[in-house]
Amino acid sequence: MTAWTTTSATSRSRRLWESAPASFKVGVAMLIGHILLASVGPFVAPFGSAEIGTGIPLSGMSLAHPMGVDQIGRDVFSRVLYGAHIVIVLSLAGTALGLVIGSLVGLLSAYVGGLFDEIAQRVIEAFVSIPYLVLGLLAVYAAGPGLAGQPALMVIVIAIVYAPRIARMARAAALDIVTRDFVTAARLRGDGAWSIIRRDLAPNAASTLLVEFALRTGYAPALIGAFGFLGFGVQPPTPEWGLMISENRNLILVSPVTVLGPGLTLASLVVAVNLTAEGLARILGRSADFSVR
Amino acid sequence: MIEVQDLTIDYETASGRLRAADAVSFTLAPSEVLGLVGESGSGKSTVALALLGHVAATARLVRGQVLLRGENLLSLPPALLAASRGRRIGFVPQNPAAGLSPHLRVGGQFVELVLQHGVVGSRQEAMTLARDQFALVGLPEPHQLVRRYPHELSGGQQQRVCIAMAVACRPELLVLDEPTTGLDVTTQARIIDLLKDLRSRFDIGMLYVTHDLGVLAQIADRVGVMYAGRLVEIARADRLFSNAGHPYSRGLIASVASVEGTTVRARRLRGMLRRKELPAGCAFFPRCDQSEPSCADRPQALECVSDGHSVACQRWKAILTQSTATVEAETQSVSSRTANPAPLVRLDDVSITYDRRSVWRRLLGCKDRLVVKDLTFSIGEGEIVGLVGESGSGKSTIARALSGLLAPVRGDIRFRGLPLPRLADRSLDLRRDIQYVFQNPDASLNPRERVHTALSRPLLLYFKPDHREADQRTRQILQEVHLEPSYATRFPDQLSGGERQRVALARALVARPAVILCDEILSALDVSVQASIIELLAGLRRETGVAMLFISHDLAVVRHLADQTGVLFRGALVEFGRTEMLFQPPFHPYTEELLLAVPAYRKQARRSRPSASLKTRTPSSHGCVYASRCQHHRGRICDEEVPPWRHTVSGHAIRCHIPLSELENERVIGIDEDGARLAAAIS
Amino acid sequence: MIFRLLSLRFLTAALTLLAVSAIVFAAVEILPGDVATSVLGQFSSETARAALREQLHLNEPALHRYLLWLGGVLHGDLGIALSSRRPITEILWPRVANSLILSGAAVVLYIPLALLPAIAQARHRNRPLDQVLSTSTLVLASVPDFLLALILLVIFVVVLPLLPAASVVTDSTSFGDWLRALLLPASTLAIVMAVYAGRMLRDNLIEVLEAQHILMARLRGLPEWRVIWRHAVPNAVIPTLNVTALNLTYLAGGVVIVEKVFGFPGFGSLMIDAIRFRDVPLIEITVLIASAVYVLANLFADLAALLLNPKLRQARA
Repeated sequence: MTAWTTTSATSRSRRLWESAPASFKVGVAMLIGHILLASVGPFVAPFGSAEIGTGIPLSGMSLAHPMGVDQIGRDVFSRVLYGAHIVIVLSLAGTALGLVIGSLVGLLSAYVGGLFDEIAQRVIEAFVSIPYLVLGLLAVYAAGPGLAGQPALMVIVIAIVYAPRIARMARAAALDIVTRDFVTAARLRGDGAWSIIRRDLAPNAASTLLVEFALRTGYAPALIGAFGFLGFGVQPPTPEWGLMISENRNLILVSPVTVLGPGLTLASLVVAVNLTAEGLARILGRSADFSVR
Repeated sequence: MIEVQDLTIDYETASGRLRAADAVSFTLAPSEVLGLVGESGSGKSTVALALLGHVAATARLVRGQVLLRGENLLSLPPALLAASRGRRIGFVPQNPAAGLSPHLRVGGQFVELVLQHGVVGSRQEAMTLARDQFALVGLPEPHQLVRRYPHELSGGQQQRVCIAMAVACRPELLVLDEPTTGLDVTTQARIIDLLKDLRSRFDIGMLYVTHDLGVLAQIADRVGVMYAGRLVEIARADRLFSNAGHPYSRGLIASVASVEGTTVRARRLRGMLRRKELPAGCAFFPRCDQSEPSCADRPQALECVSDGHSVACQRWKAILTQSTATVEAETQSVSSRTANPAPLVRLDDVSITYDRRSVWRRLLGCKDRLVVKDLTFSIGEGEIVGLVGESGSGKSTIARALSGLLAPVRGDIRFRGLPLPRLADRSLDLRRDIQYVFQNPDASLNPRERVHTALSRPLLLYFKPDHREADQRTRQILQEVHLEPSYATRFPDQLSGGERQRVALARALVARPAVILCDEILSALDVSVQASIIELLAGLRRETGVAMLFISHDLAVVRHLADQTGVLFRGALVEFGRTEMLFQPPFHPYTEELLLAVPAYRKQARRSRPSASLKTRTPSSHGCVYASRCQHHRGRICDEEVPPWRHTVSGHAIRCHIPLSELENERVIGIDEDGARLAAAIS
Repeated sequence: MIFRLLSLRFLTAALTLLAVSAIVFAAVEILPGDVATSVLGQFSSETARAALREQLHLNEPALHRYLLWLGGVLHGDLGIALSSRRPITEILWPRVANSLILSGAAVVLYIPLALLPAIAQARHRNRPLDQVLSTSTLVLASVPDFLLALILLVIFVVVLPLLPAASVVTDSTSFGDWLRALLLPASTLAIVMAVYAGRMLRDNLIEVLEAQHILMARLRGLPEWRVIWRHAVPNAVIPTLNVTALNLTYLAGGVVIVEKVFGFPGFGSLMIDAIRFRDVPLIEITVLIASAVYVLANLFADLAALLLNPKLRQARA
């Protein structure tokens, strides 16, 4: 709009990177590794995801089968590679959806205040009071038999589980901002509500929300895995890691690597996102509680 | 007695190493009061804490010693250090509320201390001592107070408790870190009196750290000035105030607005301390008007200029021989505006309660207290009206009511003759005419918006100019508030507090309002910055003719700016009239109290009052609002009947039962015309 | 004053539970469409469905059904489980009792597991020990709880065969066997809770240790042990309690996974089975109870903070 010169965006981000804590860099590196895995995996996997008879069932770790062979004869390592992108996509989509819904509700509720806010608070509180796993299971049930097993269901369930908690966070952040003088100044001036939310509330809540987003995304793979493990998530033969852990669970005494393989890979993804999230929080000057559920 | 040698302390921060104290050296003789003054971030608190042998966990002692009668406190083993603390050196913190453990009773904390240091033998004796000492520092009802928790006491009382504990063991030295900064002006005055009293009684030496020179003028024997971690000047107090050698010291002194009405215009401080851009030589170089090029390269060391006076500036000879230009304040002309301008804003019998948002509260039918009662005054076109009072007096509430955030419960507010509606019902034009500037510069700007965005939002809202006009106007307004155009691309966190307030003012001005509501806009700023903003406001009014409601708790500030001033106490106006009249008898008793509390410049202007003689009565809901604290209380009539307004010949109004003639003569103070002296006759 | 605050808290908690019951009811009986079909399956006969509808009063308007159910619950009548045709009260309480014992064991294990590292971290802030512990906490927290359970299983059942693989307990199990059965599931829960709380505890303890008044106490010359015990610790109790109470809220959902992995016959596995077998009344009750635990844990945290804080005791009107 104007001829004002601004500090270059690239130089600011470079300085940010340099000042970031080591854990952040490790997390980002791991994350990049996972993304590579997800994108390249299916093409380099030695066997197909549903290919049976690749080796002796329950034969344990070997060079040909780094994560062993499950009881139907499928190579677990290949399945893990195929399953990588599923987890990432579902996690991101679900968390993003939850973030959008949650922040809108939270910001609006804080700004409008009054009776609307009181009611919204009660509703949010009610949803949050249902333990997240239970809420997810409830949502799975409520979706009915038609949607069962669909990946889209996972996205919706994650969004439902996260949205209330994010809304609570967004509302708290917005409440803190709304009381600050510059918002009052905008109100006195005559700025419209939407303008205030857009220009005053959202940008200042953005860093909190961004950290929230990162943290929740970190936990989403575990959540999806949990649903898969319990049998309520993605259905076989999809190579979803949690599902694989459940399927191979009975083999754990004989061939634990079939469980630990997908399990530790899942854990490493969560670690990667958590480290990144925590580092992000540090950079943005906030504290991140990665264990908030 | 105490000798600080070459003290150098570094802090490890996220953005690198910060040198909080840089080769600081000075001595403190027994029973001497040394003031240490500097802006925020000058390192004075770090030095103060080092005197107790304390270096923060995130800091590192690079080198240096603190010698107490020969012993280096910084190298003592913990047990010996603990023995010295409290017993040989006492400490009074800046924030008394945070300094007392919230879960323990104040008496208990005192007892623990004296038992630890062996001042008394038994708990019984300790308790008795606690009661005695609390009485000594002027705390009311010590028998009951010892059983209270810290949060049940007022700020002033908490600080007295801290002082009592600091002197409990009769230490040789007292270190005070901005002990009165968080307190009301009146409370501040009383605490300073207490300190002076204790000093003369027990012969305690003190290191008094503050950013407020006016306070030091009353209590300090010598004063050291710190800048960017370095001690740049040290001298006897009277010497420093009359003829300082370092440009920074001179700038500081010039900035202090005093009751006297004259401001030393020359050489005010400009700019702010930017730690990242310090030159290799003198740290003050970027802000110095007296520098020569070599100052930037050559580190300045303290040179002895005369007896007891040392300056760290190579140009001191040139500076000391200059005469200080004392310009008679254009502030005088500010105050002598035309007598009766047309009323722009008029309040009649306005009463306001405190707004509670909660639905629950309304459901439970809580009755709200009246924060402002039956208020009547007006603001004329182009007039600056000041409102002075302590915290809780309701002055901010009035501003909020005028802005529309609160609606009065009773009474009538008019703007240009028409009733002023609630905020929701106001037209855009009306909103434009009444602008608000807030107290806290940190919260009044959107941290995510650059300065030019903050300024252009109101512009676009009210005037819908095209881009070029908008740019032009933004540039122009920045100039008007004395900020360079390059500031437009900055974010608020790149500005100092004073600069942020200027932007906030610019934001208000850009709307070309009829009246600006200034709600304690100077309170959060360092004393040195306040002066420049006051000047700016005066200039703005001259140039644009905008009216202002200027709210403050500081009378001295108001004097330079306002045409008319009202004094508020607990929601009621007790005095109102032309500002100069406020500083001359007759005074309302509360105005008198306020005036006595202003740390005036020259030491001889104030005689000390007995410290513990505050008579407070329980406040009643009828009668005079000030009855519970009034030193001229006349008995039942004050408690039961609302006092009438009494008018002086010049139109000044005072609300008191005491007739004006008595107020004028008996037991009051006066300030003569050139405003240089307060002559007090106090019982 | 305090009475008013307390009653306000209770009221809010009750309202929240009420809202939860509405949500649960809606999710289970209203959303999935025809309840009878979803329970009995698509291939069930119309007569069977009609009978079920009669039994569950499904022909009446939703609000009416909700109020009926709610009224029943408040009077102690929790309904009949569809799958076993027994009154829910009969099946429920033994399971709840089991889960309570499991939770109790978890809490006992959790306290030292959480506090010791947090204290160590707070005292050696920013030094190597702190970094190491922080990183390991983060790594451990990233392991999904079901995986953690399985790993523990592998270690203590496969690698070092010390404990039984399944923690099935019945009325006749001996005390010793009970303990052995509890150990793995309780430890899993305890580790998850300790990791969950560890960060918050560390931050709280640091805040307590670095509070202004602690510095002041030191500057007054009080010996270190006094500063810690008399001035710091009392202020640490409340945030610790707070964190712990919030942790208890995890248990309500955590038992679900853990009981499944170890086969422990508790409340969690009851809920899973209910959902698997589409046992509508049982689902409603179990979810409601899980939420009630959450709400109560929060309430407990609030009350503890309220009662222990001298400032809040005389809170604003």
